[in-house]
Amino acid sequence: MRKALTVLLFLGAPFLASGTAARRNDRPPADRRNFVACPIVRDTKTSPCWLAEYEGELYFLGLQGSSASEFYPPQLNHEVLVEGAVTNEPRVCGGIPLKPVRISVIAELNRACNTLLPAEDGMEAPAAPARRGAEDMRNPGSDVTQRDFTVPFDFDSDYLTLHTTRIVGEAARVAKAAPAAKIEVQGYRATTWLSDGKKFTEAQTIAEKRAKKVGEILVGLGLPAAAVSVNWKGEPEPCDGVTDPDKRRVTIKIVP
Amino acid sequence: MLVGFIVAACVVWSRDDAAGYQVEHLRWIEAGAVGALPAEMHFGNADGKLGVLNAAGPIEMKGHPFFEPLGLNSRACVTCHQPANAMSVSVETLRERWRVTNGDDPIFAPVDGSNNPKLPQAPESSHSLLLNRGLFRVGLPWPPRDAHGKVIQPEFTIEVARDPTGVNLDDTFGLKGVNPTVSVFRRPRPVANMKYVMSPDGVFNVKTGTLMAVDPETGKPASMNLMSDARHLTLKQQANGAYRDHQEGRQGALPRDELDKIVAFENQVYMAQSHDRWGGSLVEAGGPPGLGSRAMADGNVHALANKDRDPVFRLFDAWKNPATMAKELTEAQREFRASVARGNDVFMFRQFWIRDAAHINSIGLGNPIKRTCSTCHNAQMTGQDLAPGWVDVGTTNYPTWTEPPVFSDKAELPVFKLTCDKSATPHPYLGRVIYTNDPGRALITGKCVDIGSIVMGQFRGLAARAPYFSNGSAKNLRELVDFHDRRFDMKLTEREKVDLINFLSVL
Repeated sequence: MRKALTVLLFLGAPFLASGTAARRNDRPPADRRNFVACPIVRDTKTSPCWLAEYEGELYFLGLQGSSASEFYPPQLNHEVLVEGAVTNEPRVCGGIPLKPVRISVIAELNRACNTLLPAEDGMEAPAAPARRGAEDMRNPGSDVTQRDFTVPFDFDSDYLTLHTTRIVGEAARVAKAAPAAKIEVQGYRATTWLSDGKKFTEAQTIAEKRAKKVGEILVGLGLPAAAVSVNWKGEPEPCDGVTDPDKRRVTIKIVP
Repeated sequence: MLVGFIVAACVVWSRDDAAGYQVEHLRWIEAGAVGALPAEMHFGNADGKLGVLNAAGPIEMKGHPFFEPLGLNSRACVTCHQPANAMSVSVETLRERWRVTNGDDPIFAPVDGSNNPKLPQAPESSHSLLLNRGLFRVGLPWPPRDAHGKVIQPEFTIEVARDPTGVNLDDTFGLKGVNPTVSVFRRPRPVANMKYVMSPDGVFNVKTGTLMAVDPETGKPASMNLMSDARHLTLKQQANGAYRDHQEGRQGALPRDELDKIVAFENQVYMAQSHDRWGGSLVEAGGPPGLGSRAMADGNVHALANKDRDPVFRLFDAWKNPATMAKELTEAQREFRASVARGNDVFMFRQFWIRDAAHINSIGLGNPIKRTCSTCHNAQMTGQDLAPGWVDVGTTNYPTWTEPPVFSDKAELPVFKLTCDKSATPHPYLGRVIYTNDPGRALITGKCVDIGSIVMGQFRGLAARAPYFSNGSAKNLRELVDFHDRRFDMKLTEREKVDLINFLSVL
């Protein structure tokens, strides 16, 4: 598995040779923690916590929730790509909180990722964030002036979550209300700049898959196929170690 | 003494008769039966009685397409969907039919009531999967085709690793035949309580992150919870498929008026267990409100019920304390009811780690999640999933299945080796090489992530229709509970298991 990942990773060799510095330009900013690791789940008296370790330090990623939660937890039996910023907040479940944090499950199996820690006194989970009700998730907004929508994706994934399907649904609603003469769908893929200087690039075909999937949904939601143009960019977006997760996306532009 | 017993029995019987309970002659309904199917029926089983309700009133069977043979093999819909068996058919009933007819009943038709249509049909051994596990052969085209008949390029190759019935390597019926076919063996699902089963979840399918499939007639989202592989979206599609495949119909599709009658019948029939094993009614004034077939007819549709204030099978508080139960109940009945109430609590609130279940853990919930049975079985009244309910819980796949090892000579079911293409997203917990006796949803979508995923069935009328799981691998409720206990390392105590079994037996 590690070998498979290594194939996907290409070393930033020129950067690695440059040595260490206070603000190294061969690395993402110092407060960033972008890494691939086995996730760890810690049982608690309430909600299980999700953690990951990087360079000997433990980081708190989030709590178990539901499909309506903002945070989708990692999966044992899989590595996880963590992209986050270190905070000064107190440790949670033993880990330094990363905020904001984006996690992506690496699709290939890794059975070594199998750490489940028992509940311990002093390792209580914080209260879970208020759950967004199903109705809240489904209720369309009233704004019909928005013209640009962005649908984010996890690394190497074309899966739309409960939240991101809602974005596409909202775009379709607005396009119908406008009404739109044209709906431009553009897919992108990205590279993540890891904290160790390596770069981790998404699969060649993922931008196409994302764009086609979103385009099909828009047509399925009743927009005329002739008005929906679907394009994708083959080259990965440039990385900066900070906004990389935002570049894994599909944009929808409504042209009245 | 004997006279007294007979008189007492007659008194009881007449009371049953007055309530429309005298239905022993309907315990097995032949294709082409005549007479009325009463508005309300109760059929005995080992755990008590099952109640079946025709909400539209008595149904005249003569000439009704659900009860008439429509194809060439003298079967009707009712052949495999018997009211006495909760609108499915149990192994107990199948064995009785074999005994009574010496194997001549149309239900044993070679096409799918046999391990292999080419075997000599007279020996019992040629029908062992039906007689021992309640399984009918389902032949599915390979590669799969979409709704328009267009071939779907599968993400995996499929090889036959074991073929104990010989049908998958057969030159007519097998993978190498003129019309390449994968034969899997599955239980018939109950055709009742359909307002719940057919209730769609919304515009988007949370399992795939795409739009929900739509009913081609209405253009509205379908539930996708009807079939174990979700291949048919509507009752009409299912009826046409069953007519063609199970009744060997040759007209292509059933006439519109017949389809309408079949669907109308299916949409008004409700069933649930109605009596305990001592003959006491489970439906009591002030008792648990979710029991019995009338509760099924009256219940709210599409209610997410993994919560404490209005749980999946409603509240069982009335049965928590034997001291407050009806005076006429025996001590055994009181204890049983208290056990059922505890079983409900186990089902609703006993947490464990749900792990490596594709289409549960893999859709954003995390792996594992610390939750309860009701997390997945969340739909009020049926215990299905409100979302399209295909999940790989591991009943059909190595190593979590309960079948013999892959290359064992004792295998009863076929074993397929599926190898996923490198470009495909692999199965989230089994990777790229998978041994299975039923790829489930993947035979329809061609996707690796769907291998072994089976749409969960409803929980009602369980006592009347053993065995369980799509491949009949749990002979009884004990084996069903034991499977989950092992699979998820639930560490259920013996008392918790008994409570859960008792709970399931009254649904």
